[in-house]
Amino acid sequence: MRSVPFSCLVFAVMLVALGAIFLWVPTEKEMGIVQRIFYFHVPAAFSSFLAFFLVFVGSIQYLRTREDKWDRLALCSAELGVIFALIVLITGPLWAKPIWGVYWRWEPRLTSMLITFTIYVAYLMVRGYGANSAPVQRISAVLGILAFANVPLVYYAVDLWAADQQLHPPRNVELEPTMQYTKWICCAAFFLLLFRLIAQRMELARIEKAVALLRQKLIDET
Amino acid sequence: MSFLGRALAILRKDLKAEWRTKARLSPMVFFILLMLLVFNFSFDLGGAALREIGPGTLWSSYVFASLLSLGRSFADERDNNALDALLLAPGDCGAIYLGKMLGNFVFLLAIELLSLPFFALFFNLSLGFFLLPLLAVFVLGSACMASAGTLFAALSNNMRLRELMLPLLLLPMILPALISSVEATGLVLANECCEKLFPHLQMLGVYAVVFTVLSLMLFEYAIEE
Repeated sequence: MRSVPFSCLVFAVMLVALGAIFLWVPTEKEMGIVQRIFYFHVPAAFSSFLAFFLVFVGSIQYLRTREDKWDRLALCSAELGVIFALIVLITGPLWAKPIWGVYWRWEPRLTSMLITFTIYVAYLMVRGYGANSAPVQRISAVLGILAFANVPLVYYAVDLWAADQQLHPPRNVELEPTMQYTKWICCAAFFLLLFRLIAQRMELARIEKAVALLRQKLIDET
Repeated sequence: MSFLGRALAILRKDLKAEWRTKARLSPMVFFILLMLLVFNFSFDLGGAALREIGPGTLWSSYVFASLLSLGRSFADERDNNALDALLLAPGDCGAIYLGKMLGNFVFLLAIELLSLPFFALFFNLSLGFFLLPLLAVFVLGSACMASAGTLFAALSNNMRLRELMLPLLLLPMILPALISSVEATGLVLANECCEKLFPHLQMLGVYAVVFTVLSLMLFEYAIEE
């Protein structure tokens, strides 16, 4: 029940963000209406990296303490990180088609995001094929740490590989103030949504585990 | 026995076992020969294609061969529960990782060097001193694959569907190393040396060091029964 006020806050910030994107912020003069996808694309990318960082933290803490809650944090953050990365990978090509003329180019940022995405999908497969047993939790924690350590290497290698293909809008581009504010409001909305969903998913994982234990107990007794 | 002494003992054991059985080297070299054959019919290899698809063909074959080879490195220990005996040995089990990693490194490098003549033959590549930097690429590329691959082989050793999980986990992880290996090999084959080559070698070196250090730290959790 405690989560209701937080959910209301998330909902309110999301409404404000939607208002800012569709009613308040001016249309970009060169790219036109399609540029508005930027307010979903960029915050989703930040959120996925935040989620992957939480996988890293949860994994380290699980190996140190062996407490289930840290493993739950890693698992739930990985699931949401993959979903947010998928949003990035879907909104990116939607924007690219009218601007670059094609849905996909092997451009450094796209390539890096795709590789990062595949690493965490592999992580989720490990979790999916083993039951939630202690060995799987331990193996996943090792993977969660390695996966995050690999992210900067992926970015560095891909930058070297496709240095002449850099097409992505640069990160330090000067935004018009209204656009800048809208971007931050959207980031706030995405972060709050991420935290809310992780909390919800962790609670669900805890209940799943409790049910599994109860069921086992029942089987043992009969 | 010191940490390094134990690692070297495991390396010696693996090399001796390989020398007696030839269970990994000869099948892998033959496998690469078959891969080159498959690529030939897929891409129509020839002198003109050397620059464009040569490095990619070479490294794709190496990666697939090394996946098979790495899978064996802990599978051999599973028979007769030999791994339990290794883990019972006193001291830090990072030494097991280091020994196995060095063994895998030697195998991968040997596979690469032994199959290079086939590659040269099929691609009409004349061997010469200009290929010397390729040795650095092979050494660093093998070190990258051995450092990450040994840990993932240990991880997947305890998993269900282990033959399937090793490639699924390892392939996306070694992509940074693969990218730089292919690029560096392309530069060497195009006889463009040193200035452009260096960042890629640096990348491979950083990757190998990062994964070796992380693996030494995490190996006890990966192998724990």
